[in-house]
Amino acid sequence: MEKLAATSPAGVLLDLSGVVILLLAFACLGSKLFNRYVAYYGAQSVVLAFAAAVAAWTFHSVQLWILAGFTFAIKGIGIPVATRGLLLRRLALGRDTAISTGLSTSLIAGGGLTAFAYLVTRPQLLPHGVVAAAVVPLSTAVILLGALAMVVRRHTVAQLIGWLIVENGVFLGAITLVATFPFIVEAGIFLDIAAGVLIMLVFVSGLTRQLAEASAAELRGLRG
Amino acid sequence: MTALAVLIVAGPLAGPLAVALRARARAAGLAGTAGAVVSLAAAIVLLATQLHRAPLRGWGGFLYVDALSGFFLLTVAGVTVLAAIGSVAYLSAEEDAGTLRPFQVRLYFIFFGLFAALMLASLETGNLGLLFVLVEASTLASAALVGLEGKARSLEAAWKYVIISSLGVTIALAGTLFLFYAGSALHLSSDQRLTWPYLFTHAAALAPQPLRLAFLLAVVGYGTKVGLAPMHTWLPDAHAEAPSPASAMLSAALLNTGMYAIIRFLAITQARLGAIFPHAVLLAFGFASVVIGVLFMIRRGNFKRLFAYSSVEHMGIIAVGLGFGGVLGLYGALLHTLNHAIAKAVVFLGSGDVALRYRTREAADVRGLLTAVPVAGGALLLGTLAVLGSPPFGLFLSELTIVRAGFAQAGPALPLLLLGLLAIAFIAFARTTMGMVTGQEPAPADPYRGRAAHWSRTIPLAVGLVTLLALGLWIPAGLNTAILHSMAAIS
Repeated sequence: MEKLAATSPAGVLLDLSGVVILLLAFACLGSKLFNRYVAYYGAQSVVLAFAAAVAAWTFHSVQLWILAGFTFAIKGIGIPVATRGLLLRRLALGRDTAISTGLSTSLIAGGGLTAFAYLVTRPQLLPHGVVAAAVVPLSTAVILLGALAMVVRRHTVAQLIGWLIVENGVFLGAITLVATFPFIVEAGIFLDIAAGVLIMLVFVSGLTRQLAEASAAELRGLRG
Repeated sequence: MTALAVLIVAGPLAGPLAVALRARARAAGLAGTAGAVVSLAAAIVLLATQLHRAPLRGWGGFLYVDALSGFFLLTVAGVTVLAAIGSVAYLSAEEDAGTLRPFQVRLYFIFFGLFAALMLASLETGNLGLLFVLVEASTLASAALVGLEGKARSLEAAWKYVIISSLGVTIALAGTLFLFYAGSALHLSSDQRLTWPYLFTHAAALAPQPLRLAFLLAVVGYGTKVGLAPMHTWLPDAHAEAPSPASAMLSAALLNTGMYAIIRFLAITQARLGAIFPHAVLLAFGFASVVIGVLFMIRRGNFKRLFAYSSVEHMGIIAVGLGFGGVLGLYGALLHTLNHAIAKAVVFLGSGDVALRYRTREAADVRGLLTAVPVAGGALLLGTLAVLGSPPFGLFLSELTIVRAGFAQAGPALPLLLLGLLAIAFIAFARTTMGMVTGQEPAPADPYRGRAAHWSRTIPLAVGLVTLLALGLWIPAGLNTAILHSMAAIS
């Protein structure tokens, strides 16, 4: 997608999707209820699927259409529904109390990371005028926000979603920076994510049974 | 040739297949062992033929085996054989003792086979995107092994492992993306732009800024799998809580696979940006790992954690060797991956016997190994000496080569620092293990009365130690050629 200009309609749409995805990452970072946290993640994935569809439409790429479909079905619907059904409802998880900083502090830190992402990726890395120059800083910021969520939240479910936000950030960068990424690789990445979420769900429910509350704050047995 | 490459990957899958055919634990273990032996034989044949031919290519670059892949395949397949034999004894004993249910034992053999096959596959692909996919998949398979016992501690370790490694590897994926982007100016198809041999031959045309970022992200990302500090935090937990043969696989095979990925990125970066930047990055992470590893080895406690921190240290030494560079540095680093893998497999497999007999993983509770379990005790003693780089074992030779490379390439300060750290490591590590092997055995409260076959415990320890000794005294001509060809493939 190196040639797609930022001012073309598709470029504007992609840019806009990037911004919405970043805002939803902030929403995840700032929400205290697990339900909303997961819902924001689902919404973010739906917007990501939309962005993939825009790229697919622009480049007439069947593979990107398939990826957009996968993103919508697995990340937008499958994972949020599975997380709600298998974890939140069954384990009766309501409020996330295992946050190591205040919400406002983590939001401010998130703002700092976003600025940092612009600082690192904007200047010499990408040529001006292409849409990637606008979206790659956004996707870098999403990656950093996801990582921040994993750091400040100690609940295992919250960390799982944090990792998925990071993954979304990488994917956003992928569709704008390199739309022609080989399909087999993309499909493999999807398979990995699906398998990863499955295995993590097993661990989380196992840990919850063992510890009554699967908060990583209580994962203090192994140290040093 | 392609069939041989497929055979290497398919070999370890014999274990899962046997489980699918409803074999019992012992039979599944033996099937897995047989498969691993086939895979090792195929790896040796492939490496031997590879030395006289052009690299094996196929499937649009998704299959690519050159001397470097061949060398790492040899290491990983060899370790898989040792660990597979060790698994038969360990898992039968665990099942007899009632620690693991038959269902868990079957799961173990399924994931052990998958784990080995995925690692071997990741060494055979030339496509860096597929490399990411396979490395992440091997993380998931091995996480299942770490959490196998289902206790709170092992689940905690598995959780830490899977979440930190997945995040790390995702960062490596971002690095791969930037590498792909750096090749925008090349007139290559999108598959080729991710394929290592094309990228390497066209390295001069890659965009420097994205490449720089790609290398950094790859070192941080795959460095998480290697256990380079400060991304090593999952490593001691996972190694300590996994069943011992699985710990051996993690330490001796998985870490090497991560290092292999870093070496591939290093080769491209070096070809475009020169040696100074990538070497500085590797030296920084390498020394950080050696320092962290050594510092945490001083603390006494769980002996499997001690071995795990020693792995952090050794991965650091390998990174330092790569960072010193030059012929000596690269040679030493590659030789060290092989030596360390065999030594760690021996030590972890030996520690499995100890943990079974004493029902503890605390070093302070273990004494008198040499009289109580002479084979495991002796292996642990000799393995310790080998891991610490005492002559005449192979690690002495490779560490000496790396230190010499340092004097040749970087002046006296850094190699002297490395020697100092190695000396501290020697004292810290030996203090704990010597206490374990000597003295009087405490009266066991609950003596182990397993009927695990004796041969399957002794063979991997004996084979590993003999190999280590042989490698210290003499490097076979074939191995020497393989290492030299590997170096030629990436420089």
